[in-house]
Amino acid sequence: MNNLKTRSPGVYIVSYYTGYIIIGTAFLMTVPLLTSLIMGEWNPALDFLISMSISLLTGLTLMTFGRSTHTDSSQVDWRYGFIIAALSWIMLMFLCSVPYLLSGHTNSVLDGCFDVMSGFTTTGLVLTQDLDHLSTGLNMWRHILTFIGGQGMVVLALSFLVKNTNGAYKIYCGEGKDIKLVPNVKGTARIIWKISLVYLLVGTLALWICGMFIGLSPLSAFFHGLNMFESAWSTGGFAPNTQNIMYYHSFAYENITIVFFVLGSLNFGLHYAIWQGKKKEIIKNIEVQSFFVTSFLACAFAVIKLSQLGVYTDAVSSFRRVAYNVLSAHTTTGFGSVYARQFANEWGDFGILIMVIVMMIGGSACSTAGGFKGLRVGIVFKGIVADIKKVLSPERSVRVAKYHHIKDYVLDDPTVKAASLIIVCYMVLFAITTLLGTFYGYSLADSAFEAASVSGNVGLSIGVTSATMPALMKIQYILAMYLGRLEFISVFALFGFVIGGIKKLCARH
Amino acid sequence: MCKTLKTLTITILLSACFIISAAAKEELVTINDLVENALSYDRQTVTVEGEAIGEALERGEYSWVNISDGTNAIGIWMKKEDADSLEYFGDYKHIGDTIQVTGVFSRDCSEHGGDVDIHCSSLKIVKSGHSVSNTVSSTKIIIAAILSFFAVLLAYFYRAKTKKRKNVN
Repeated sequence: MNNLKTRSPGVYIVSYYTGYIIIGTAFLMTVPLLTSLIMGEWNPALDFLISMSISLLTGLTLMTFGRSTHTDSSQVDWRYGFIIAALSWIMLMFLCSVPYLLSGHTNSVLDGCFDVMSGFTTTGLVLTQDLDHLSTGLNMWRHILTFIGGQGMVVLALSFLVKNTNGAYKIYCGEGKDIKLVPNVKGTARIIWKISLVYLLVGTLALWICGMFIGLSPLSAFFHGLNMFESAWSTGGFAPNTQNIMYYHSFAYENITIVFFVLGSLNFGLHYAIWQGKKKEIIKNIEVQSFFVTSFLACAFAVIKLSQLGVYTDAVSSFRRVAYNVLSAHTTTGFGSVYARQFANEWGDFGILIMVIVMMIGGSACSTAGGFKGLRVGIVFKGIVADIKKVLSPERSVRVAKYHHIKDYVLDDPTVKAASLIIVCYMVLFAITTLLGTFYGYSLADSAFEAASVSGNVGLSIGVTSATMPALMKIQYILAMYLGRLEFISVFALFGFVIGGIKKLCARH
Repeated sequence: MCKTLKTLTITILLSACFIISAAAKEELVTINDLVENALSYDRQTVTVEGEAIGEALERGEYSWVNISDGTNAIGIWMKKEDADSLEYFGDYKHIGDTIQVTGVFSRDCSEHGGDVDIHCSSLKIVKSGHSVSNTVSSTKIIIAAILSFFAVLLAYFYRAKTKKRKNVN
């Protein structure tokens, strides 16, 4: 055994930290458990007790297995950090789907896993059946998953559980977040949570009050406000009812969600900089510039085209039905103020293409949003401009291109290459997912729309995603959401780790 | 003669009932049909049937009532007194009243910012809703108790072992 530990310490390290993250998530189940008890929903309360116990047993078993490593977190190198993050997400997908399965609102384990992955990755596509009769506890759980997913489960575990932070930064980066707001990673994780919790209070209060004004009862308005805020801030797209944002029939409610999903799609570094009084950062930041240019152009083109087609003729409906959906898609939120099939039947190819483009671009890096991110679009765009300038300028002149993201950075070739590589990965994922959709007989436009939605973790649907769609497509969509959220590297590291392990085993025998 | 007349009358009455109910059924449209063929149904009077869900959202003299027919859900704009006549709305603890609504369908309602909705002109409660009794299964209680016990036990042993290790170090 000791020999095995020295030969393959990775298994124990991965086991210990994955167990740690699972236990952190198990404790989260106390929130929907208490909600169910308060609301007198006894069956859901038991569902959460069972799920929590299973998660605790799994987490503790993994920690016991890897216990010998926990005293020395310096052993956690980059490779293990990525693997821990990727593996935690897969294990949590199964464990967190238990309450869904016990509730009887999902048709299969696959559907339950699909919804959990959709929540974790802040996608927002739904296979859960009969949302309008879901318990308050389960609705709370769905929205907590998306809220935690937006900030990151690893961030949560690091904030409150990990004492030794030597190796923690590597696990934190594995979840697609690589910003250090303060030198200490635990401090950074805590700042991310502080920012989110302050917005949680403000956002829930705003939606609660608005909810009461639009006719919801005070208690119901509170739960709707909390759930919708969690969904908006994490750019998730889940809603407590089938009709999503259309349930409320309110311009004011829609506008409040716009404020929070746009804020949620901005970099945590930017929030922190503004909190520290660096207000000019809003104008100077490359991601903000990129987001406002692309969202303005996309909204303008979509509004003009749909107005030409006679789909929406007045300004209010153009804003509420076109601009809202374009912004929701661009921030990768996925709140829909039109029915899924209206995109297919009324928006036309141009409208659908605009939506596909903005869904792929997504929000900011190190935010709750998905997509290949405004930062990378900005870097690649500036890289192209810099190259053109280089070609046009005399050979002896040396030009240094820069970009501003919290501070000034020199735009060098490795930075442009790294950004381009991730964009290429997203495009390949999008192409494969579209191809699979067309293989199963969906139209190219429908397949591309849904593929962009899952790859960019958006959650808007054109009507492809349903409980009756082929199982292979569900699996591909789960994979696309997972890869899109973790930005590929962690998942590739996990695959490499597993394949390497299998090769070692084969070599021994 | 009298017997023949009676038989004839009953036959005619039954046929009339059948024709009327068939005609009424023919008018019923599913919400998914409305959404899928929104352009052709736009500004037309339609009849839909579905369960009232959530709660009535009161807006002055009118209210929004969302209904679901299993294929999809849609908002119905109706007078407040009509909404008040509904007793049950569907949620976890209730099955809502099933209502039949006739009204004008809009794909892009100019009064409601481009909403897809139906402005109700007549409302009929087809089936009354009720509370749902969610009985707790004893098997579930036993499973929950056993799993919780083992989770606490494992946590205790893990803690004890970690403490022991710390003391040794």
